Amino acid sequence: MKKENTMSVLLKGLLRENPVFVLILGTCPTLATTTTVTGAFGMGLATLAVLVCSNIVISALRKFIPDTVRIPCYIVVIAGFVTVVQMLIQAFIPDLYETLGVYLALITVNCIILGRAEMFAGKNPIGRSALDGIGMGLGFTLALLAMATVREVLGAGTFAGMEIPFLVDHKIELMAKAPGGLMVYGILIAVVNKITKGKVIKKKEFSCAGCPAAAECAGGCAEAVKEEQ
Amino acid sequence: MKNHIKSILSLTVICAVVTVLLAGTNMLTAPIIEKNQAAAANEALLVVMPDGTDFAAVDLTQYTLPSSVLEAYSEAGGGHVFKLTASGYGPNMIIMCGVDAAGTVTGAVCLSSNETLGHEKTYGESTKGATAETIDSVATISGATMTTENYRNAVKDALNSAIILGGGSVDIRTEEEILADNLAAALPAGDTFTEVFIHEALTDVSAVYTAANGAGSVYVTGEGEDALFVGVGADGVVVSDVDAAIKANIEAQAAVLAASTLTEIDLSQYADMPKQVDKAYKTSGGNYVIETHGSGFGINGDHYYNPSGEYIYVKVALTADGKVINCVTLAQSETDGIGSACADKEFYSQFNGKDETTYKDIDAISGATLTTNGYKSAVSKAFEAVKIMEGVA
Repeated sequence: MKKENTMSVLLKGLLRENPVFVLILGTCPTLATTTTVTGAFGMGLATLAVLVCSNIVISALRKFIPDTVRIPCYIVVIAGFVTVVQMLIQAFIPDLYETLGVYLALITVNCIILGRAEMFAGKNPIGRSALDGIGMGLGFTLALLAMATVREVLGAGTFAGMEIPFLVDHKIELMAKAPGGLMVYGILIAVVNKITKGKVIKKKEFSCAGCPAAAECAGGCAEAVKEEQ
Repeated sequence: MKNHIKSILSLTVICAVVTVLLAGTNMLTAPIIEKNQAAAANEALLVVMPDGTDFAAVDLTQYTLPSSVLEAYSEAGGGHVFKLTASGYGPNMIIMCGVDAAGTVTGAVCLSSNETLGHEKTYGESTKGATAETIDSVATISGATMTTENYRNAVKDALNSAIILGGGSVDIRTEEEILADNLAAALPAGDTFTEVFIHEALTDVSAVYTAANGAGSVYVTGEGEDALFVGVGADGVVVSDVDAAIKANIEAQAAVLAASTLTEIDLSQYADMPKQVDKAYKTSGGNYVIETHGSGFGINGDHYYNPSGEYIYVKVALTADGKVINCVTLAQSETDGIGSACADKEFYSQFNGKDETTYKDIDAISGATLTTNGYKSAVSKAFEAVKIMEGVA
């Protein structure tokens, strides 16, 4: 595996390997919690916290955890951190707790977190895993914020609860609903694809090597599939 | 094998460590979460008692409170907040009412209801500042009498409960219980009383109840607070201790009622008798008893939806010049909890004393316009029938 430089580990999550717009992970919370900017920001930060913590712990334990039980171990660690974050939010930011509802608990099964654990933290040292967590978490947060900004401004005529003149009287209710979410999602994916000049998608055909995460994975999943077969 | 043990061991260790971590976090956050939740619950209490502090739930099993009280909270200043249930036209109005240490309403709000007109959302404001003595004089809202009256009764229950929790005692009997007690006191020999349908014009008599065991009847003169319950034995002699004038009047009225007979009128002799008139009787006192029916929501509906397919059947007693002496609902299958209120005495007794020009001025059943209109139309047929039989139509 080619060594990435430290800066790249941190920054790739923001755009080049953005978990939401490029890796298309964590779609469910992306659609569900982006009706308001504050909700999206809270969700992003909660996920960031869990991601960084679980990446650090999983990276630290990567030599200790046997390969056969690594997924259950990852899930236990992730679920543990999610519950901790959930309890902390319920105690200190009850309003956010109300807003996020069940999606807070569902961070456990957010594939971004398990994905980074499996793809990165399980193979890299603690420092780089933490940076990866921060980068991916920020990328997730920014993606949610971008989605939520479009949806809240157009759908509710407000930004983070503050009313925007004119728009507040001309709401596009569809934007706050699921179809609006999917539309904004699709358009933003297209925009990100344009900015990155489609490198990540066009590189290869739809194959393992064409995966945006191919650099770290190095065909690991393809091998795993082959082994199973 | 070695691998298996290693797997089991590592997973167990991770689980154990995570458990400890969660336990630690829970120890830190649980008291804060509990405090937050208590504060959120208190917020509803603060709405009706803004100055309240340190709310604590009262154990209701230690007191005999009106059955409408669901929950009670005491606060540091000696006040109480009550959560009450009341039925308006629909069931289940939930009302929160605060009563301070001086026994004054600090606020009342309706938390949830099925009412249609929405008066319950603002009515609580008008009970603010009322005490157990003044609550009855708080005006109800015309057109939503039932909703606001029951709301007011719930607030009254809260005021009474505050007195009871403060160590005092009040009469918390329901209206039915008070009525039963009054009837039993007026005629101790009587047992179960049922109301008699009065079909003769009686002077100064608002209701008559007869005892099931034949011991006699109880005549009620006056209304509301001034109502006087006079027991009359089976022989028609007043047994209650009342003024000579009242005694003479009641005995005269009892004699009228006892002598009264009904003669059924053959309706087929009147060609233009409305088809809604089912039966008609002439009383020996020269009055009429007409049984009619009207199309409420049950049969008229929205012209395409007929929930029950049943008419509203009404019995009306009228004088020969077309004034309602008495009115009662015989049968109805209107929507339960909404139109079914037409079977309540509070509704149909509104027609008493009305004539053809004034019968429409009654409080409609909120949310049941079709029922009310059907009922009015049934009553209007009684006016028509009397005119036809009297030969003035």
